[in-house]
Amino acid sequence: MRTDAPSVPAKGVAQAIPKPAPRRRSPALRRAFPYILLAPALAYLLVITLYPGLFAIYQSLFVVKFLTWEWTGFGNYSAILQDREFWAALGNTALIGAISLTLQTVIALAIAYFAYRDPFIRGWRIVYLMPMLFMPSAVAFIWKLAFNDGRVISDLLGRLGLIEGNIDWLGSIPLARLTLIVADVWQWTPFLFIIFVAALQGQDQEIEEAARLDGASWPSIFWNISLPMMRPVIVVAITLRGIDITTMFTNVFVMTQGTPGGATETMSYFIYRQGFRMFNFGYASAASVLMLILTVIIAQTVVKRAFHSGKK
Amino acid sequence: MAKARKSRGESMLLRYLVLGGWALVCLLPILWFLSIGFRPRTEVITPQPIYWPTFSLDAWHLLMSDWPIAKYLRNSVIAVAGSVVIDLMLAIPAAYALARYEFKGREDIGFYILSTRMMAPAIVAVPIFFLFKTLGLLDSVWALMLIYAAINLSLVTWIIRSYMLDIPKELEDAARTDGAGDLTILREIIVPACLPGIITAAVIAAIFAINEFLFTLLIASTSNAYTMSVALANFTGGSDGIIYNAIALVSFIAFVPILILVILIQKHLSRGLTMGAVKG
Repeated sequence: MRTDAPSVPAKGVAQAIPKPAPRRRSPALRRAFPYILLAPALAYLLVITLYPGLFAIYQSLFVVKFLTWEWTGFGNYSAILQDREFWAALGNTALIGAISLTLQTVIALAIAYFAYRDPFIRGWRIVYLMPMLFMPSAVAFIWKLAFNDGRVISDLLGRLGLIEGNIDWLGSIPLARLTLIVADVWQWTPFLFIIFVAALQGQDQEIEEAARLDGASWPSIFWNISLPMMRPVIVVAITLRGIDITTMFTNVFVMTQGTPGGATETMSYFIYRQGFRMFNFGYASAASVLMLILTVIIAQTVVKRAFHSGKK
Repeated sequence: MAKARKSRGESMLLRYLVLGGWALVCLLPILWFLSIGFRPRTEVITPQPIYWPTFSLDAWHLLMSDWPIAKYLRNSVIAVAGSVVIDLMLAIPAAYALARYEFKGREDIGFYILSTRMMAPAIVAVPIFFLFKTLGLLDSVWALMLIYAAINLSLVTWIIRSYMLDIPKELEDAARTDGAGDLTILREIIVPACLPGIITAAVIAAIFAINEFLFTLLIASTSNAYTMSVALANFTGGSDGIIYNAIALVSFIAFVPILILVILIQKHLSRGLTMGAVKG
């Protein structure tokens, strides 16, 4: 309050409108307040990410055999970088992930484009969502039964006259990978579809309408108008889905266990197998650290940019 | 004009071919799997697939007699519900700070929270396993609750933050001039105003928690802590082989409540799944 202000009228105003005094906090507390609000969540995340990260780095420097830890320095790392199974797992993850993600994106874009102005969009959306709402372990069993144990796919293809007899899906490298891709595409195309439909519904209809009145065909409207407008959304959606695909585990665990000859082993399954099947914990930790480094690089580059463009 | 109408007519036929075709791709495996759940075991794995099986409640009786389904369901519910409560308690203040305050490091902290979502479960699996072993929490529902909460915290924080950003500042300013403190504003104004966002975040977090597989597999070593998701793998061991009809039935028992939850938040789903980046 200014000292030279006439005191009587000011008092009068204060008496006329009695207000509870605003709670005063010291400036230090004010500045600290957002950090205090964030502290519990950050502490929790640090325990669950930073601690495991440091633990993995530490453990990766040892050969761990049950209870004995034997120092090996970078021994695990030099072994892993020469381990063909490690590189195969990395390659499989990239290959299966890339094919699967491409298929999902194309299918989701196509059905989203045809569905978003349809009068029955609410119905389509619920139907298309359903595969995503099954537990991933359940979906893995559905396709394990359909491909391998129940021979349904072979039988259906046979009835269509495409093949003869029974296919051993786990007997061939491309076919075994194909089963994983089918399961992933079936379950997760809905994820992209839901996002794309929302993006299409949210965009300005007038530009499209104008183009249509000008006689533009629907493919050209799609390519030249809808797709560019959806770009930021597509980037965010593909980034999120891409991250999840690289962690693929459940389908491998249930359907293929890495067969034939490791051709379907993903990075996650490699770490699991080294750690919890072969009890090579130091080795598994070294693989985790390498994967963590990859993750951080991708997060800092692709994801940061994707979420910035997505926010606008 | 005529040309426009013609191209539109053609695309209508194409539209329903595409939409109907994909609907079949989605539905046929589900219906077939449902039929697996209601057929006798002898008709599941056969030299020739059977498409019109005899109706049977074998799987149901097996679940009720041999399989502690109530226990697995209870484990799932406790771990999932508990984790969502933890997430909301941690995420609401954090989201409020990120949405409403200017402070040093805000962008970096926000991105750090987001980036924990990218961590592959397998990367932290070994250390987390040792951590819970040291804490004596292996094979317990509480450990699962803590893990699920950690997995979903980033997602819940970002979704709620996105909805808080949409609340007009004037609402708070009015309350502030009335002398309300920051925490009162958060409780009385912000939380009610972004309730749809909070519910969306809770539902999506619950679905991810129900689905979680790898950690549950590692931490739950006996039926003490098995959840529905991992208990499915239970049907695979032993001399009986994989008991598919029971697996199918359990899948649908978990599917129905999730479907209902998702239909309830349908409008918010795209925003929730992109952690607020895409507004539906």
